[in-house]
Parts: sequence; C-alpha cells; structure tokens
Amino acid sequence: MSTPLGRSAGESWRVLRTPLLVTGLIVLAAIVILIATSARTSGPFSPDSTDSDGARALAALLKNHGVSVHSTETLDDAVQPGEGKALIIGPAGSLGRHDLERIAQARWSHLVLIRPGSRALEVLAPGVLQTGDVLPSRSREAGCDLPAAVRAGTVTVSGPTYSAPAAAVACYGDGINNTVIRLEVGDRIVDVVGTPTSFTNAQLADDGNAALALNLIGTHRDLTWYLPQFESTDTGTDSAGSAPLIPPDVRYIGWALAFAVLVVAIWRGRRLGPVVAERLPVIVHAAETTEGRARLYRRSRARDRAAAALRESALGQLRKAHGIPQRAEPSAVVATVAARTGRDPVMLYELLYGMPPLSDAALMSLSFELDVLTQEVRHP
Amino acid sequence: MVLTGRAGVLAAAGVVFVALVMPSWAGVGLVVAVVLVVCVVDLLLAGSPRRLQFSRDGDNAVRLGERAVVQLLVTNPGRRVRGLLRDAWPPSAGVVDPPHKLDLPSGERRRLVTQLVPTRRGDRRASRVTVRSIGPLGFAGRQSSHEVPWTVRALPPFKSRKHLPSRLARLRELDGRTALLVRGQGTEFDSLRDYVPGDDVRSIDWRATARRGNVVLRTWRPERDRQVVIVIDSGRLSAGRVGDAPRLDHAMDAALLLAALATRAGDRVSLLACDSAVRADVRRPAPQDVLPSFVNALANVEAELVQTDFRIVVSQVLERLGQRSLVVLLTGLDPAVIEESLLPVIGPLLRRHVVLLASVADPRLTELESSRSDLVEVYAAASAARTRLDRDRLTATLTRAGVTVIDEDPDHIAPALADTYLSLKKAGRL
Repeated sequence: MSTPLGRSAGESWRVLRTPLLVTGLIVLAAIVILIATSARTSGPFSPDSTDSDGARALAALLKNHGVSVHSTETLDDAVQPGEGKALIIGPAGSLGRHDLERIAQARWSHLVLIRPGSRALEVLAPGVLQTGDVLPSRSREAGCDLPAAVRAGTVTVSGPTYSAPAAAVACYGDGINNTVIRLEVGDRIVDVVGTPTSFTNAQLADDGNAALALNLIGTHRDLTWYLPQFESTDTGTDSAGSAPLIPPDVRYIGWALAFAVLVVAIWRGRRLGPVVAERLPVIVHAAETTEGRARLYRRSRARDRAAAALRESALGQLRKAHGIPQRAEPSAVVATVAARTGRDPVMLYELLYGMPPLSDAALMSLSFELDVLTQEVRHP
Repeated sequence: MVLTGRAGVLAAAGVVFVALVMPSWAGVGLVVAVVLVVCVVDLLLAGSPRRLQFSRDGDNAVRLGERAVVQLLVTNPGRRVRGLLRDAWPPSAGVVDPPHKLDLPSGERRRLVTQLVPTRRGDRRASRVTVRSIGPLGFAGRQSSHEVPWTVRALPPFKSRKHLPSRLARLRELDGRTALLVRGQGTEFDSLRDYVPGDDVRSIDWRATARRGNVVLRTWRPERDRQVVIVIDSGRLSAGRVGDAPRLDHAMDAALLLAALATRAGDRVSLLACDSAVRADVRRPAPQDVLPSFVNALANVEAELVQTDFRIVVSQVLERLGQRSLVVLLTGLDPAVIEESLLPVIGPLLRRHVVLLASVADPRLTELESSRSDLVEVYAAASAARTRLDRDRLTATLTRAGVTVIDEDPDHIAPALADTYLSLKKAGRL
C-alpha cells in the first residue's frame, strides 16, 4: 500500500489561488501604471509631454489663444477631410509614400511639417530639398519678409536646413540653407520647420520662439497634432497592382501552428516521473599525485631531481641484483657493477654518480643508459 | 495532465484545416476548441492513477555485478487504468527494464517485475513509482507518483573467493589433518604419534619415548581461537582508483578473503572501517555469520575525503582486544600520512599485538617507470621512481618498527594477505 504523491486538482487550486491572485493583481497594477504614465510623456514633441523635448507648453499656449488642439497618433485622423483646418506632423515616426499621398489628398488648409524627411518633402512640399547642412543652435534674425517671422524677431534655431524653390519664402538662414520655409501648394499653405527644438518646452520661452510658433501654427482655429508612429502600413502605390507577397491567411495559419506547437511541447515535455538524483562518490586516480609531480618536474625543467630519482632507482636495483650492501661507498658499488657487467668504471661512475644533466637531450640519454644497465639485471 | 502524440497529430491536422478550409479567427478557435474538448473528455474518462495501491516484494540484497529482482504489486480499486508505469531507481541501481505497459481493469491486480544490476556498492533506494493513465480515446491522460519504499543493498562482490579453496587446503596441512611436522613458539600440543623417518628430531618427546620403548613424537597444531582484527581505512587514501575500482574496494575484497580463511582456521575475526569516525564495526560474529555480517557492514562504506585519524583507529582496536592478536591495517602507503599520523601512535599496538599493514599498489606506477621513450615519459618515470623509492623507504621504516608490510597490486593483494596470515600462523606468531 502506498500514498500518492503530488496534489489533486482541488488541492492544487487551493494552494495556487493566492499566488495566482497576487500575480494577477501585480500585473494589472503594472499595466494601469504603464498606461497612466505613458499618456503624459509620450516622446519628443508630444503635446502631452512635459519633458524638456516635449511640446506641452506650446499646446497650452495654442489653447489659450483659442486654438483647439486635437492630438493623435493614428493615420486615420490625419487623412480625414481637412478643409479650413491645420495639420501639424511631428518629427518622429515614419510614413510611407502611400500614407503621405493620402494626407496630401485630405485637403488640409494648412500643413506644418516639423523636420520632415525627403519623402515627405517630395509629396507634401514639392521643390523643397534637404541640404544636408545642420545649423548650430544660435539666435538668428528672420532675414525674410514672412509676416509671422518678422513679427517674432530673433529666434533661437538649430537643426537640419532646407533649400527653397523661388516661389517660397525662406527664413532663418543664408538664403540657401534655411530652417523655416513657407510655400503654397495649390490652395494650401505648407510650412516646413527644420528646428523642432525651438518649440519644445525647453526653448519656447527663448527669444521670439513662442511668437513665431503662434504666428506660424496658430492660424487656424482647429489644429490636428499628428505624431506618426512606426506601424504605418506601406502597401500603397509602391506595390500597387502586384499581388501581396504574404497572403493575409498566413497569420491564422500561424496561430493554428503555434497552438499545435504548444500541444506538441506539452506532449514531449512531460516526463514520466521526476529525475532521480544520486550522490556520487569522489574518485581520483591513485597515480594522480605522481603524474602531477611529473608535470611539475617538466614545467620547471627539474632535470637534476629527475636524474637523481632515476639514478637512485637504478642503484637500488643494482644493489639488490648484485648483493651490494645499502651503505656501500660509491666507488665500491661502481667497482662491483663494473666487474659484473664488464663496463668501464669511469663511465659507470659518471653514469651513476655524475653531474646532473644540463640539457633535455642529456637527461634522455642518461635515462636510456640507466635503462640499459638495469635491463641486464632484470632480464639476465 | 499529460497529452499524447495523438493530440499533437490532431492539432497539426488543425493547421491544415485552418489553411485549407477556414483561414479565419473562427477556424483557429474551432481547432483549439476541438482539441481542448477532446483532451478534457479523455482526461475525465481516464482511470485515476492516484487511487492505485502498491506493495513490493523481492530481493533485498545482491552481490555487485549480479541481478536483483524486485516485484511491484499494483492493485486497482477504481476504473480501468491503461498507460505506462515507471518504477524509478537511482542511476547506479542499473534498472534493466524500460517503463512497464499497464492495462489494469477495475478490481484486478498485477505483478510487475523490475530487474536491477547495480553498478556501485551500497544501498539503492527505490525512488517513485509514476503511473501515467491514458484515457480511452488516447489523446490525454493523468499522471501521478507514489512513494513505494524498497531498498536493495549492493554487497561487495568478493571476487577473490576463487583463491579460497587453495588456501584452505594449505590450512588443512597446517591443521595436522595431513602430517604436520612443524613446531613453533606458542603452538599448542596436540598428540603423540610414532616417529616416521624424516620427522624433525627436535619434536621427539624423550620422556614418552622412554616410557613406551619406541620413539614417539609430539605433534603440534596451530593455535585456535585467536583474535584477528581487520581495519579498513576508509579515508582519503582509499578513494584513489587503482585499475577499475577504488583502493577501498580492493581492500574489502582482501578483507573478505582473510575473514573467510581465518574463520575456517578457528579464529575470531572482527572488522572495523574507520577514517575520522567509525564507518563499520562488526565484533566477533559467530563463525557462520562472519561473511554475511562483514559484507553487510561494508556495503555502505564509501571513501571519505578526510585524513584518517589513526589515533581513533588504535584506540578502537585496543578497546576490543585483550589477548595477543593479529591486527591487519588495510591502508595506503603514503609517506606523509603514515609517518605523521600512524607511526607516532602505533607503539601501544605493536607492544602487544602483531601488526600487518597491507596496501594496494598501483600497477600504473610500474608502467610509468618502465616507459621512457620521450622526454615527457622520462619525467613521468622519474616521478614514479621517486614515489616508489619513498614507498620503499617507508616500508623499511615500518618493518624496522615491527610492522609486517604487504604491498601488492590489486590482483595479488588478497592472496598475498591470505598467504601472510597462513605463514604467521605456521610460524606460531599469532
């Protein structure tokens, strides 16, 4: 008879419900906090952001002057019909050509492009080109006859510059490289602003920055503040006409496949009982210390010690074989061995009691000679 | 909960279904729902592995290298259980069988056999019995584990048993059952018999000869009921592997042969395995119990990585010995350990008892010393020579102190120890 181990379903639930509840609450709280905080500080040039690179001050200023600011991050709000309204497109994110064309077709009366890329310029502000030069942050005169700029006076500008076509008004630059450009495309006014930092919370109070922003942006009662995100789809004119590369059904198949993988993982992952652990004994080779000492000899080139050990070992065998007493003098040993083996006593003395070998080759030959000498003893 | 391959196949078929028939969220949902419903239904229909009842039967002990059979009785009081049963043991228990297939209708009982071939000495405890009960559809099942305790003790193998008959024959010669003509100090007078040419004249009993008129000889027989204490060092030195087993296992083998022989010779044998603490202790068991009790006591002794404390060894031995006895120390001949730890404390032992030190030599050293074909090997040979010289010096020191030293490689240590015992007995030194 035996008792089953492990918990039944009811016991499992009773044991697990408290941790599950706590985990759930923590996750929920984390999500709530994340949402609550991210709404207020969502990146640079956001009308909700109070960071130094945010634009909450500008949004508040515009509201004080009777402009209703509608902040959005979705493309759908930017492509709605916009007669009599203004659209400001933030510097972050990326928009595809198709999206930009939809914005162009939305008939906005006033477009403000904050630090636009070349694709946006091509579609929304034809004729304006990026020059590649970057202005250092400095207080500058308007240098043009745009009323908004003239009234604002000096403005602290910095950032990428643009070159304007002949019909456009270019300000804050040297005539070729400018940071603020106003041009008319059809019945629409388009402002290209290369200096987003001038209108941020940090710099809006400097010089005439606030005045320029109000004059430039606050011309219409209804302003849509669009911060493009990265998820904008780019399946427009570029690939129009050709079939999409990935069929839309794939994601359903993907989900079904994921479920199948989960099932297979549970099937293969469950073991038939736990792994049995075992305490293993320590086992070392008995000759470990001897081999370790051999390596030490070799590394430190202890030829003298190695030779001494080999000689002593050979002497021991010779003494035993020829019946030489332990305390016999070297000369007596050599004489006896020479007499028995017929070798030259001088050579024998050198071999058995000589100087330590000075090179590896000498050690090798010493070892060989000793081996030959004792071989005769071992196998007479 | 357990899923089977069928559930995997069903889910895979669901992928095909979604791709070809319903490429939509509804299709995905349908597949998930079908798989879940099938699995849950199967799970509910599966017999409960928790309600199974177990009991065990079978071998409790096995000699290392042989096969033990342990039976598991499974009773099912509930619904039919089909699936797999795994009787889990530690790796060194050497379970031979794969997991059992189980098909146990309600109210029936099955006997499942697990065969073990342990690979190491010592107690092997059964771990859990895990039952996986698969539902009638074969898609999902339930699994649970039961603790069904059982222990199989793997005993020392006693490989040197093969040397026993020849040594017993020599013992019988000593015993006087064959003509025995030796006499020695301390041997016991046995009987008188007529002189046969060739007998040792020193054994002639002149008084009896004078009384009888023909030449009469005293015969002697070896003394009986002597004490033999076998001490196995289970410390650091015994952990070294010589050949394919630790020194400790070779020492145990030799100890068992000596114990068997000494018991047959009529001596009382005790056993002590000791390092910094006593690991096994058997005191003078009855002759028929000697081998079983020794083997049992030694089964769980493992080499500990501590220095053997010979003070404990000596005091333990002295405590259990009164009369003059033979003390056999099975340890390693390591100059540092023996000179620092054993020699200072062995005096009291040597004064009253005969001390024999047996050490398992490593054939690898001879091998290292004899091969000298390149520089690496020459250094190794020098190192091996140094080790052997140290051992020889130590042996000489011990012999001078009065200890008989046996230093043999694993194959010869057990017979050499037995022979030394016999020659001590023959010389009447016990």
